[in-house]
Amino acid sequence: MALLRIQGVTKNYEGVKALDQVSFEVKQGTIKGLMGPNGAGKSTLFHLISGIEKPDLGKIFFKEKEITFLKPHEISLMGIGRTFQTLQVWGNMTVVENVMTAMHSRLRGGVLSSGLWLPWIKREEDRAMKEAKEILEFLGLFGRWKWFAGQLSYSEQRILEIGRALGTRPELLLLDEPAAGLTYGEAKDLSERLDQLRKKGITILLIEHHMGMMMEIADEIAVLSNGILIAEGTPEQIRTHPRVIEAYLKRGREGCSESEN
Amino acid sequence: MELLQIIPQFLISGLTFGAIYGLVALGFVTIARASQIINFAQGEFVMLGGMVTFFFIKSVHLPYLLSAFLAIGVVIGLGFLLHLLVIYPLRKASLPILLLATLGASLFLSSSSALFFGTLPKALPPFSGKDLLEIGGVSFSAQSLFVLIATFFVLFLLYILSHHTHLGKAMEASSTDPLGADLCGISRHLMTFLAFGVSSGIGALAGIFITPLFYVSYHSGTLIGLKGFISAVIGGWGKYGGAILGGFILGVAESLSIAFIPAGYKDGVAFLILLLILYFRPKGILGSPFIDSRRW
Amino acid sequence: MVEQIHKDFRKRDILYSLALWLLSLILPDPQLHYRSEYRLRWRDLFYLLAILLLPLLFSDPHFHHLMVLAGIHGILALGLTLFLGYAGQISLGHAAFFGIGTYTTAILTTRHGWPPFLAFWASGIVASIFAYLIGKPLLKLKGYFLALATLGFGEIFLVLIKESASFTGGVIGIFGIPWFSIAGFVFDTYLKQYYLVWIVLIGLVLFTKNLIRSKVGRAYMAVATTEDATSSVGIHVSRIKLEAFMVGAFYAGLAGSLFACVMSTATPETFSLNLSVLIVMMVILGGMGNLYGPIVGALILTWLIDTLAQYQDYSLPLYGVILILLLIFFPDGLGTRLRVRLIYLISYWGRKKRREKVNL
Repeated sequence: MALLRIQGVTKNYEGVKALDQVSFEVKQGTIKGLMGPNGAGKSTLFHLISGIEKPDLGKIFFKEKEITFLKPHEISLMGIGRTFQTLQVWGNMTVVENVMTAMHSRLRGGVLSSGLWLPWIKREEDRAMKEAKEILEFLGLFGRWKWFAGQLSYSEQRILEIGRALGTRPELLLLDEPAAGLTYGEAKDLSERLDQLRKKGITILLIEHHMGMMMEIADEIAVLSNGILIAEGTPEQIRTHPRVIEAYLKRGREGCSESEN
Repeated sequence: MELLQIIPQFLISGLTFGAIYGLVALGFVTIARASQIINFAQGEFVMLGGMVTFFFIKSVHLPYLLSAFLAIGVVIGLGFLLHLLVIYPLRKASLPILLLATLGASLFLSSSSALFFGTLPKALPPFSGKDLLEIGGVSFSAQSLFVLIATFFVLFLLYILSHHTHLGKAMEASSTDPLGADLCGISRHLMTFLAFGVSSGIGALAGIFITPLFYVSYHSGTLIGLKGFISAVIGGWGKYGGAILGGFILGVAESLSIAFIPAGYKDGVAFLILLLILYFRPKGILGSPFIDSRRW
Repeated sequence: MVEQIHKDFRKRDILYSLALWLLSLILPDPQLHYRSEYRLRWRDLFYLLAILLLPLLFSDPHFHHLMVLAGIHGILALGLTLFLGYAGQISLGHAAFFGIGTYTTAILTTRHGWPPFLAFWASGIVASIFAYLIGKPLLKLKGYFLALATLGFGEIFLVLIKESASFTGGVIGIFGIPWFSIAGFVFDTYLKQYYLVWIVLIGLVLFTKNLIRSKVGRAYMAVATTEDATSSVGIHVSRIKLEAFMVGAFYAGLAGSLFACVMSTATPETFSLNLSVLIVMMVILGGMGNLYGPIVGALILTWLIDTLAQYQDYSLPLYGVILILLLIFFPDGLGTRLRVRLIYLISYWGRKKRREKVNL
């Protein structure tokens, strides 16, 4: 069953076509890779799915319900968690609080009951703390739970973003270059954890430049180039797909001529 | 009296005030185009422009034109000082701190002007004489015409400065991307410094024009400043043409409002228009180049 | 000999760390953000005792009156710190909510004969209803435009109060508001009012403390940092902002009600832009995102204004200059800077002594 279905999505930025008639599906319980040269429109697609921006044309379905024009928080509540390419952790909160904040909508209590510290608030807080620590344990950040998130290293902040997305208990996880800036060993750990997440039943849509990792863990790969979906298939098919090879090489040449202008 | 007869009269006075609001707004926009700072002390420069001119005429007995020029010079000096003593030390501060610092400067300027020049409201003689012009049964003072012409002249000068000189381009660069401008060898602090000079000069000019039209006292600067800022927002924040357009709209709306609602509510009208425009179109009428960038 | 020096170091080190520990007992934590293990500490007991004993030590009625004002300002600043310090949104119209609280109490007690205790709660509720109506459209703005819009709201409030004379008494205001009273106990002296105001303030501090260590406070701080990430975890950003705005207004309403009962008058001039600036200044001076800071800021600024008042004509220019100097030298709050400086000084003395010893 298709968990996420994207139908003919088009997005223009002041005349530049960032996405042009992109359609594909993400099947439940799989890892789908999204590849493409820089500026191919991958992050734009993530912004559209998570509702931060709206498409000009086309529809996006999640669990067969249209989410195209929902607000970001409503989309998140439906079960889509995401990370950002440019890091956006809450640096003035501790690591565990970062994850606990993601559980906001699942915790009971409003302003009045929290302020009066009614009995169930304490129970909710303890529950959230326990769950957050479990997530951190899973991601290998448990040793840092008391640190302020701003004190973490770049790669740890990337992992923390995944932890935060997991805090919302997503069914679909959108990961925007999670391995960027990670060392070889860390990336290896990360792909193992993504594999475990898949086994837990979380579907993942992954943007990554790290070829080895992508080929290793992705069940299916879609390739974007200049906003057009040029190929889709298993890693083996993509590896030998002529248009993919052409796109990457041609893009390189174009990049040179652009920089000369 | 017939409403139809008064309305053109109100329109004329509205346009005159609108031109002045527009001038004040130009001061805000000049700074915003160089540094993305809002100087809430701008209104005090307007007040000081009138006050200092009055001081030179009445106490030092200098001729009108000379005292006006001297006053502009003094106020420009104050603008430079404001930048050096308040804005530059706070160059790394966050927004609320800058906001409060300029408000503090405004408080300081208005209250110390009360110390120097006294608390009595002052009015300059109109420099075009006291005779009224009359066109089609609507009479207005030549001063109004003068204000209009001067406003457009300043607008023209600023347009030339920003679009046809290297300095204007450098100012704009340091506003849109301060770090990038620094890397290109444009000092953003120097640009802000110069912009403060230009903007305080424009403020002083507005003050000299406004003082013959109505009484200016030490505390009237804040309100004029706020209305100038509101005009800039109405017309489109960051655009010179928008500032003037917003000024006219605000001036006319205010003076027409007197015809329909009690005069006490007049000051509320400006803020009501502000809330409406911020709610329905925060970009302003002409659209704003800054509204999507960092601070706004 | 080396052994001897070594021993001296040990003794000194213990002394310095003792001094530091004592300091940490008294000075507020510069970053009193939500901590999961946060709970009441010894220093809170120290503050509590200080608050309770202070008016008994200094029996000057002027001092009592000043402390009453400082307490009311403290409540205002505490409300604003939720919105400005924690949720990171600026408001220059907070004085208007204070005014709404004052006028609600004034009108309810003098015209409708409500007991002050009921009017107290009604003021808070009315203020937060106004905050809802104002905040709903305006809180989509950010930065300078939000500041300007809230400032505009404050000015409109002033104009309305001045012009609707039949309802609010116009420029003259409303007189003869009864003292605050609970179950027949009337707070009619400055000393009684002091305890009234500060006990309300302590209650609100506890409430706020619980608020910021729960999910609500976390959401506020998240909104202040990045809105995109906050909405990506399912938090309704504009609702959180509105909530913070309403809580702040509620506090301001309560403060206004106390102010009305203490002053027994309500005049429009009290609620001008200057008061809004003062409240923001208290929050900045206390340090953003800090719970005790705004109260310390309120104490210092109330005292400052009272001291400056004796210079008459020079008081306002002086006030402006001091405001700017404070902003330049303590942009992240008096507490933060002072504490860092003190710790630095203590360790500096230590290092200096050591260096001298070794050179011998």
